[in-house]
Amino acid sequence: MSDNELERRHRLLRLSFLVAASALLCVLALVVIRVQQAPWRVLQERFLALNPGGTDGGEVLGIRQYYTCAAEVDRCPTCHMGIDRSDLTDESIPLPFRAHGPGLGKHLPDRVGCSACHGGSGRALDPGVAHARPDQQAGDPLMRQPHIQASCARCHVPGAQAGQARLEEGAWLYLGLGCMLCHPLNEGGRGGLDFGPDLKMIGRKDLDYLKASLIEPTENFPGSTMPTFRLALEKEPEATESLLIYLESLVLDRHPACGTRERTRSLVSRPCATCHAGKEGDATGRMKHRCTYLIRKTDELRCANCHAGGIPPTGRGEGYCPLLNQHREACSACHDNLKAVMPAKAGIQEGRGEGKRPQVKDIANHQTPEELEDELH
Amino acid sequence: MKGFLSTLRTNVAAFPANLRRGMHPGVRPEEDTLTDRMRRNFVFHLHPVRVATRTLEPKATLGLGVMTLTLFVALALSGVLLMIYYIPTPGEAYTSTQDIEYAVTFGAFLRALHRWAGHAMVLTAFLHLLRVSLTGAYFRRELNWTIGLGLFLLTLGLAFTGYLLPWDQLAFWAVSVSANMLDYIPWVGGFLKRILLGGREVGQAALIRFYMLHVAFLPGLTLGLVALHVWRVRKDGGLAREPEGPENASTVPAWPHLLLREAILVVVLLTLLCLAATFVSAPLGGAPDIHNPSNPEKTPWYFLWIQEMVSYSAPVGGFIFPGALLLGLFLLPLLDREPEGVGRWFGRPGNRVPVAVSLAPALVFFVLFEWVFMHQGVVSWLASRPPLLRDLLNPATGMLVLAVILFTATGILTGSTRAAAHAAIVVLLVAVIGFTLVAWCRGPMWAFFWPWEEWTLVR
Repeated sequence: MSDNELERRHRLLRLSFLVAASALLCVLALVVIRVQQAPWRVLQERFLALNPGGTDGGEVLGIRQYYTCAAEVDRCPTCHMGIDRSDLTDESIPLPFRAHGPGLGKHLPDRVGCSACHGGSGRALDPGVAHARPDQQAGDPLMRQPHIQASCARCHVPGAQAGQARLEEGAWLYLGLGCMLCHPLNEGGRGGLDFGPDLKMIGRKDLDYLKASLIEPTENFPGSTMPTFRLALEKEPEATESLLIYLESLVLDRHPACGTRERTRSLVSRPCATCHAGKEGDATGRMKHRCTYLIRKTDELRCANCHAGGIPPTGRGEGYCPLLNQHREACSACHDNLKAVMPAKAGIQEGRGEGKRPQVKDIANHQTPEELEDELH
Repeated sequence: MKGFLSTLRTNVAAFPANLRRGMHPGVRPEEDTLTDRMRRNFVFHLHPVRVATRTLEPKATLGLGVMTLTLFVALALSGVLLMIYYIPTPGEAYTSTQDIEYAVTFGAFLRALHRWAGHAMVLTAFLHLLRVSLTGAYFRRELNWTIGLGLFLLTLGLAFTGYLLPWDQLAFWAVSVSANMLDYIPWVGGFLKRILLGGREVGQAALIRFYMLHVAFLPGLTLGLVALHVWRVRKDGGLAREPEGPENASTVPAWPHLLLREAILVVVLLTLLCLAATFVSAPLGGAPDIHNPSNPEKTPWYFLWIQEMVSYSAPVGGFIFPGALLLGLFLLPLLDREPEGVGRWFGRPGNRVPVAVSLAPALVFFVLFEWVFMHQGVVSWLASRPPLLRDLLNPATGMLVLAVILFTATGILTGSTRAAAHAAIVVLLVAVIGFTLVAWCRGPMWAFFWPWEEWTLVR
């Protein structure tokens, strides 16, 4: 290659390098600019410009966060600048800057934080992630009334405090409808043949998912043997919502660090009327579901002692079983009438398919909370 | 006082020269010209002073080695910065990652940069391996080829161990699924998995092991091997070429003609990387739910082809196919003793036709195998047969057999081991890319969905 040609190439290379290096510098500048224009910084600038409290810009800018009693970090006040200010309660103040409404009681934001009640990702500063919008995978879903009652269960026993009537109703429905049978909360559920999946963290699922699971279980789990509660629940939307609120409250080990926390034991370890076993006060679920689900557990259960037709039991009890009443309750949780018709053997084998599942039509037939309570104690 | 100041002034003025002398002791001043300094410069330990003109052609190397090295350095630097904030305990791994992503200034940028650079490095290392094998550049360089293979495995290991660290739902389950694939290695698989995870499942022990591997052991090993790798390239005579090739005579100075080109490549790559990191943030899912895996649960993309093959047959997909691939690559420089066409794509020109021709049956048979195995009837019929039949009759085994057939046929037709090896590589490449794409399309219950179809639970 001639010297001229080499020299020409050298110049071209130098020029290209300069262009590439300038491009890199521009991109790095862009990186800095984008960080400067993070949504929370823009919002804080707007808050300053608006100056709703007339405090003459005395606010501290930057990331503001609550370090809660549960050792969580909530950065929500970074954007919700006026959340803890008594002078910004007026309705005219735009939403991210307005103070929290009344009714907080002892729940001081700087102690309890925000996400403990409202859900969402307290650590996130990106609005989409922080508010757990549907396109985001991260964090607990953001709660709205009355679903926010689900959060009470993070620290309180359902029913013990005022303002959580829906949560309490849902908790009783969980017992009364027999959900506990297949999803025992203290056992963690075992999945597989005789129990439904573990629901201890089901509260992390979004509302639509939970609703679909109740109304049409096969939508989320094809081949699910769970009875459909469609008819019963569509008839009583209020009860459905309460049950959903209770389900939303099921998030494993929510706030163990809170000093004032009452242990959420009530529904976890209280004996269950429909599936009692083990020692008093602790439903271990050892008896399991004595229905069609137990066809492979023959040695654990001696149904044939009472029932004609062997295992699985195809006939009604002969009438002398001392546990018959409880059996009835257990069966009636899923089966429509209290007579608890057992499917025939062939039906059991195919019972996992479409159309074979029992339909629960009416909640009203089931026990009231008072009746359940009587039976528990 | 005056004396003190003048001493200081003199010594400060002499400071750069003293520094230089410290770097190059025993160099006489008349040798200390710009050219001489450059010759002693670090980069001239990597490159010869003059390089063959052919080296400069982009198609000779595609710049893949330089790109991989650049990405490695970018990963090391961004990784060190991420280490400042990351806490490797199950309780805090996820929250500290959230802090990096949401609160640390430039944290999201660094995390995205690290993640995309990691993915890109797997890709460039793979393409570099492919380039070296398809240009026959491994010829008479058994040591460096083996080091390179090791570096590729280390790259996979680095990417994989890093995948767990965010400790979100995606990371937790992807690593669980991938670690379970170790079970398919006979005899030692279970032991390897236990040693990697420090138990049966992904937990505290696994996290600290992955962290140690990711930030200390694997990068250290990689750094050492990279140094050896680059040093061997220089000692083996630079870019591979025919020993007696006519084009060896035409050379140009490495500075500026090679080094400036490399510098441009580095800068362009870094620019693209920064652009990607700014506009595409690294994914961060919810906190891990150890009770509920997602459906489907997929491995990182570079292991998807193995996961897809395992779905047909565990021993073939999890061990025999990847094992045969690795063994074949290891044996490549030991089998190939043809100096002709070294450093040229597909060797001598006469070899290109059979290699190109092997692409057709590879594609046709891959689509055919997949089409057959998309039918539920075939799958359920096989499911009720003995396992051995499933291991023999599946797309993975089919592609492996096809590779062996084309290897033999090309070898007989051309009389060239290199052409035969290239034909086999083409088939296996089609298989690896194909299985990856198919696995990428898999939805719930590992059912196949076209990319434009919505995932449903029941297919």
